[in-house]
Amino acid sequence: MRRATRLRRSARIARAGVALWLLYKPPDYLRRALRLPAPPRRERTHERAARVMLRTALDLRGVVIKVCQVMATRSDVFPPPFVHVLKQLHDAVPPQPFERIGTAVERELGRPLDAVFSEFERTPLASASLAQVHRARLRDGRAVAVKVQYPDIEEIVRTDLENIRRGCQIYERLDPQPLELLPLLTELTSHLALELDFRREADSADRVREIFRDDPSVVVPKMYREWSTPRVLTMELVDGIKVTDLDGLRRAGLDPGDVVQELMRIFVRMILAAGFFQADPHPGNLFVRRNRQIVLMDFGLSKELPEGFGLGLFELMFSMMTLNEAAMIRAFRELGFATKTGDPAPFLEIARRMMRRSDTGRFEGEFTEEMTDELFEAVRENPVVRVPSDFVLVGRAFSLLSGIAHTLGHRANVLAAMGARS
Amino acid sequence: MMPLPSPETSLAERVAFSFDEILATDPGLEPLIANGVRCHGGFDSAGAYHSPRTLHRAPAIRAWQARLAAEGADLVTIARDLLPPQYPNVAQAKLLLRAGVRDPIVRALTIIAIVEGFGAVIRDVRVPELRALVREPIDGTALAHLDRGLFEAHARDEAGHRNEGGHKQMWEAARDLALENPRVPTDVLMRILGSGGRAVPRRRSFPQLDETLEGLISTLSNVLVIEVFAAGTFDWGDRLLSDPEVSAAPEHAGAMVRCIRSDETPHVEYLRTALSELRARTLRTVDGGTISGKSVVDALLHRTLYVLTTSRPREQRADTRTSVAHAMRGAGAPGRLLEEFDALETPFAPPTRTGFDPASGTEGPAA
Repeated sequence: MRRATRLRRSARIARAGVALWLLYKPPDYLRRALRLPAPPRRERTHERAARVMLRTALDLRGVVIKVCQVMATRSDVFPPPFVHVLKQLHDAVPPQPFERIGTAVERELGRPLDAVFSEFERTPLASASLAQVHRARLRDGRAVAVKVQYPDIEEIVRTDLENIRRGCQIYERLDPQPLELLPLLTELTSHLALELDFRREADSADRVREIFRDDPSVVVPKMYREWSTPRVLTMELVDGIKVTDLDGLRRAGLDPGDVVQELMRIFVRMILAAGFFQADPHPGNLFVRRNRQIVLMDFGLSKELPEGFGLGLFELMFSMMTLNEAAMIRAFRELGFATKTGDPAPFLEIARRMMRRSDTGRFEGEFTEEMTDELFEAVRENPVVRVPSDFVLVGRAFSLLSGIAHTLGHRANVLAAMGARS
Repeated sequence: MMPLPSPETSLAERVAFSFDEILATDPGLEPLIANGVRCHGGFDSAGAYHSPRTLHRAPAIRAWQARLAAEGADLVTIARDLLPPQYPNVAQAKLLLRAGVRDPIVRALTIIAIVEGFGAVIRDVRVPELRALVREPIDGTALAHLDRGLFEAHARDEAGHRNEGGHKQMWEAARDLALENPRVPTDVLMRILGSGGRAVPRRRSFPQLDETLEGLISTLSNVLVIEVFAAGTFDWGDRLLSDPEVSAAPEHAGAMVRCIRSDETPHVEYLRTALSELRARTLRTVDGGTISGKSVVDALLHRTLYVLTTSRPREQRADTRTSVAHAMRGAGAPGRLLEEFDALETPFAPPTRTGFDPASGTEGPAA
């Protein structure tokens, strides 16, 4: 990456940092000087700040988009306007020109594009923060999807992470009660290093396929390693109906309720039983075939859960279902939740608030988006509680599945998927 | 002023109870604390264990059964010789524990606990409008109380309720006491979720019946057979966990299993009562005809018993033996240990008859 580009990116991030500072701090200083009370909520300020971040992300792309995407999933840390505004980055990443992508593929595979592919569509099927995906055909006739990392992305990631880290350090020094951003950034840095190696994504896909080796109703695209490198991933092109395309499902004679039940069974098996899962089940990554098979895509964000996590999560859900508060406290602790004082009361408060937000006023096996939001809001409002990041990912996954279920007019019940409820 | 009838007299005569009465527990019991976890039920001043929610439920079941007998109807009975042997049996389990191969036993006890907890599913079983679907009256029967306390009491017994643990927590306590808080194998949930693909939808045997009614009778039959067969599991758990050779807390762990066993008695009894009441009645079909309850109940009981005495024990045995052999790989002389293990197996020949007529019922004329 050229020095001028590096400087431009650093300056752009610094400009965003200053804009955020101006949004929050001068009004604070003024209020303190005039001895005015602190406003109860700062929704408008948060919204404007989130829009600053959104513009910066769309301008700089790459890791800034990734950071904002992570922020949009961490409602336990960031106020709702951030989550709401930055969520749109999950679908709205503009693609890069084909010329750059084609050159990158040729460089990675070490031969001209037409030596490997008989067809390669110029318009991508999808574009995300680190890569975009093109439909293509191998010379032997097999239809494939080619995921191509953006050129220079590694360098961009390194530079941007340095800049963001510096910004966070300054923020934590200036703010007397800062949000704990550096641990999040450290986690993101380690995730990004893994996500930038597509061989690992291929490994994750193979691992999920292995979990379902005896289950023909689940399809994980084959990875063509001979045409893959750390920066290019060539995989079987699998078609299907987008999981939230209700009309498409009905036209194909598929029962949406059956689709929901299947999805839950698949994710329950990965999360609770196998301890390894595709952690990004948004509708763009899930398809249904006419023969009722479910297709899982995109294993860049796959997660190995710690030993015993599945049982711990099951115990938490079970204790919430039976309203057993002593068991809830045990389960929260087993999952890695902690309070600084050791007082378990915040755990119960969290569970009670979640149950109040369920459709029936009690936990019956469904993690709705509202319940997950309530969980994270309860955590955010109670600074003594720490949430294990695995739980956040799993909570987000079940919340996404619940959202899909509701789009299809059904409910996504984790315990029913285990056979615990009818 | 008329004297109030004594509780015994009134309960013996009563056949109708409120939801809250069915869920009522004897007052003034000393709570059962299992390995530091408060559980349901409790002990009276003489030290006798009282199952939870039996203050009115137990006499109610007796009254419904007495009424059934007075009407000349038989109580459904499942022959004990249909019960497949526990695998591994007590001798095999002791062999494993003595050899330090603990995972299969810890896994088995944990699965029992979780499956007991899943018993809470019964509170969600849909009960149709039985008065419209059964020709004879059902007032004052177990049938009339299924969704008026019996299912809820059963669910709470199995899974626990609020700060009282149920059978799930009691089995866990028995395991942890006997085996000194063992590490639970991480594949437990994988075993429960099972292998293979999507579940096959339940096949209808009586399409002429209201679907919810058939579902209810099918569920009652399945749960009754599972509860009766659980007697084998209780014997196994009691004998194994009470044995000081392999149990660190033989008295407490064994007593815990015996408490669970006594809690299960009302489950078996209300289920067989409800099925017997249906068996003694006539069911209305969706086309306006009728079918004898006996033919429906017997056919569905036969179907459940057939599966649970033939293919299911075979599959479970094969699966368990594979995991036992795998767990033995860490032990000394695993080949010899497996031979010894196999030699201790209890032989089992699936019964040729279930005791219930598999033929579907005779239909009456359309009304």
